[in-house]
Amino acid sequence: MHLMQSKERAAILGYGAYIPFYRLPTTEIARVWKGGGSGPNLEKAVAAADEDTVTMAIEAARQAMNMARVDSLGAVFVGTESKPYAVKPTSTIVAQALGQHNTLAADLEFACKAGTEAMQVITGLVGSGMINAGLAIGMDTAQGRPGDDLEYTAASGGAAFVIGKRSKDAIAVIDCSTSYVSDTGDFWRRAHERYPRHLSRFTGEPAYFHHIESSVTILFKETGHKPSDFRYAVFHQPNPRFPVEVATRLGFTMEQIKTGLLNPMIGNTYAGSSPIGLAAVLDEAKPGDKILLASFGSGAGSDAFCIDVLGGIARTRGMNPTVKSMLERNTKIDYSTYSKFRDKLEK
Amino acid sequence: MSIQYWRIRDRYYRLIGSRCSDCGDEFFPPVYRCKGCGSEHIEDKEMPKTGKIMTYTVLHEPLPGFEAQAPLYLAVVRLDNGARILTQIVDSPEDSVKTGSKVRATIRRAMVDGDSGQIIYGYKFIVSS
Amino acid sequence: MPRSKVYVNSVGMTTIADHWESSILDLAVEASRSALKGFGKKSPDQIIVGNMFSAVGAHQEHLGAMLADGLGLSGVPAFKVESACSSGGSAFNVGYNLVRSGAIDSALVVGVEKMRDLEPEDVSQALAMAESAEYTQFVGATFAALNGLLARYYMEQMDVSRDELSSIPVIDHANAVTAAHAQFRKAITPEVVSRSAMISDPLRLFDCAPVGDGAAAILLVNDRGASGNKGKMAEVLGGKIATNDFSLYEREDMLDFKSTRLAFRGALAEAGLAPARIGLAELHDAFSVVGALSLEAMGYSKRGHAPKDAKAGKYDRGSELPINTFGGLKARGHPVGATGVYQIAEVYLQLTDQAGKNQVEGADYGLTQNIGGVDTTAAVHVFGRAS
Repeated sequence: MHLMQSKERAAILGYGAYIPFYRLPTTEIARVWKGGGSGPNLEKAVAAADEDTVTMAIEAARQAMNMARVDSLGAVFVGTESKPYAVKPTSTIVAQALGQHNTLAADLEFACKAGTEAMQVITGLVGSGMINAGLAIGMDTAQGRPGDDLEYTAASGGAAFVIGKRSKDAIAVIDCSTSYVSDTGDFWRRAHERYPRHLSRFTGEPAYFHHIESSVTILFKETGHKPSDFRYAVFHQPNPRFPVEVATRLGFTMEQIKTGLLNPMIGNTYAGSSPIGLAAVLDEAKPGDKILLASFGSGAGSDAFCIDVLGGIARTRGMNPTVKSMLERNTKIDYSTYSKFRDKLEK
Repeated sequence: MSIQYWRIRDRYYRLIGSRCSDCGDEFFPPVYRCKGCGSEHIEDKEMPKTGKIMTYTVLHEPLPGFEAQAPLYLAVVRLDNGARILTQIVDSPEDSVKTGSKVRATIRRAMVDGDSGQIIYGYKFIVSS
Repeated sequence: MPRSKVYVNSVGMTTIADHWESSILDLAVEASRSALKGFGKKSPDQIIVGNMFSAVGAHQEHLGAMLADGLGLSGVPAFKVESACSSGGSAFNVGYNLVRSGAIDSALVVGVEKMRDLEPEDVSQALAMAESAEYTQFVGATFAALNGLLARYYMEQMDVSRDELSSIPVIDHANAVTAAHAQFRKAITPEVVSRSAMISDPLRLFDCAPVGDGAAAILLVNDRGASGNKGKMAEVLGGKIATNDFSLYEREDMLDFKSTRLAFRGALAEAGLAPARIGLAELHDAFSVVGALSLEAMGYSKRGHAPKDAKAGKYDRGSELPINTFGGLKARGHPVGATGVYQIAEVYLQLTDQAGKNQVEGADYGLTQNIGGVDTTAAVHVFGRAS
């Protein structure tokens, strides 16, 4: 493949994030399971009992649509691994809530990279002229098996992007992207199981690092870009350490990644992880800034994007609540409330 | 159960109520006849998503299906267009729920038919900070 | 056709309790037989049953024909009337008007409800059917919640205190002590109310009518249908039903009990009586706030003043207008579809001097007010002594 680049470039016309109100300190999880200590992240975002991927996707989508000011969408794609229904698309409920019917709707699954995949597909539909604008959402209510290490980070949240033809109001152009996959089972969930399973050290080098380093290296080779060309880099963030490590290996600095690094505060929102990081970056990016976005999905694969911020970003300030304000607007809960919210208690 | 709510899903998802074409009054839930001027010239209209709490209560024993959300904060909200709506207040600290508090709409799971039935989504409100 | 005078010839009541051993038909038959004992004819011309949720509580509809058959009266016209918690009052109003018109000369009106066969949350669900499924039940609101909203609004707008609101439940409990058919027969203080469990802030357990089972029956006759002596009859002087905007929160003024006001005025106009002539009133205090707003809608207290007036003794047993003389909904009980008929049976006992230790002295006219929803339907009837 090398590089995916549409003849007519597609652009981000609007975006919106959603982070639930509730936070579970990882000290609480450690208190219950380990008698003390904490996880690698400080806290994680927890969806309330009456929230799910559908409700959060609609909230983020509404904000993206509010910013984009498009009337009709040719496609609504939701990338998630926590669909409320195994059969019945999340995307049609989102479409209905937005009043969109003459649209292509689908749910995508590729663990934590389903959201960025949605962005690539929408970019292709726009770039080919098949649609004028589409909505790509990455959103999850990630479930951690009680007592498992992943419980520290499995969190809820995500972001939505309206992608359409590049116009004078466009916020950022999706210049190009690439994708690198292999059959690598680092983390998986069989069809009727409730919780996923995962390997431990194997999730590092052969999975996360190999795939992100591969996709980004291909991107650099095909475009001729180097790390210093980018103002920001956003990586998938399963924990606070991996994105910092992969950034360093690829030649990025802390200054470049810190705006999009949210795992310490909210944990890993799976398909929402790098999309929320991108939203946080767009909240402060300036025209001319170049952004590298590299997701990772277990199973496994990585999507890497080169995104250029445009002048249209100026008009977006103040239109929607920022990611920062969502990070700040929170209340702490304890392990028992979290268990009730996420329906982990057997009745 | 689900068909009764399916037919009004746009009202639940987008707060689509009624507007009297003659006098301009707006209502949610929808009406067949204007409560202001009595006209039957009623059209669908999307309601504003912000308003204020007129009164509220804290229900310790909600209807079956809502137990997990007890105690339920319920309020009569006067939307910015004057329409009054009965709704649940969520994600709001206890001391922020007062007569006069400003609120904004959100979408949530309203009812769930067990583990295998359908999920009904609908409006709830949050106190604006 | 000239209208006949209508009389309550006789009544029957079961106690209000958790009747684990009795079915809905058992209760209806028991009350009916007592009422029919005082009736000389072989059968009433019509049977009308008031009931709210037999379909949910007993998987049973078609109660009119079922009761007729149970009484050995199959062949007699019969049907059920439903208007939520005012089903009893509405059933009575239908019977009253049919007998008054002369279309029939006698009617057996029976209110019956079995609530205890359902678990408490299912009772709440059944009662919630009096309000919109799509917009009220949809948000998880029970009737306690709707009245909780009303109570907070009332207390904040009208500056009514917690203790003032407790006055009506206190009167109810005091009156029920000597009432044989009442569900709760222990006097209480305002502290008991304010310390009881919170149900829907600000309403507490003792602000709310209890759940119970019961049946009450009335035998209505006109002059042609009468067989007994008038000394043991009460005359039905007027009766009206009215409705309000369906949902409480949609009303221009939530504190205006328009149905009660319209039904009250209509019933008194039909009776040709001024409000001051009423010597006792059986009010629909399903919740303390409802009792208060009912008195204000009828004009017996100024807006916002009913609780204060009740606290000052204006509605006590020995006052000018005693209310809820056998305990009202809070203490006598509230088997919802039956309540309206219980109220009428109680006024009958008062006006025929059969009220025993609960007797109100010197009352010539009595009034019953029965509500469905939050004053969504109101049925008000006025009675006088027959002789």
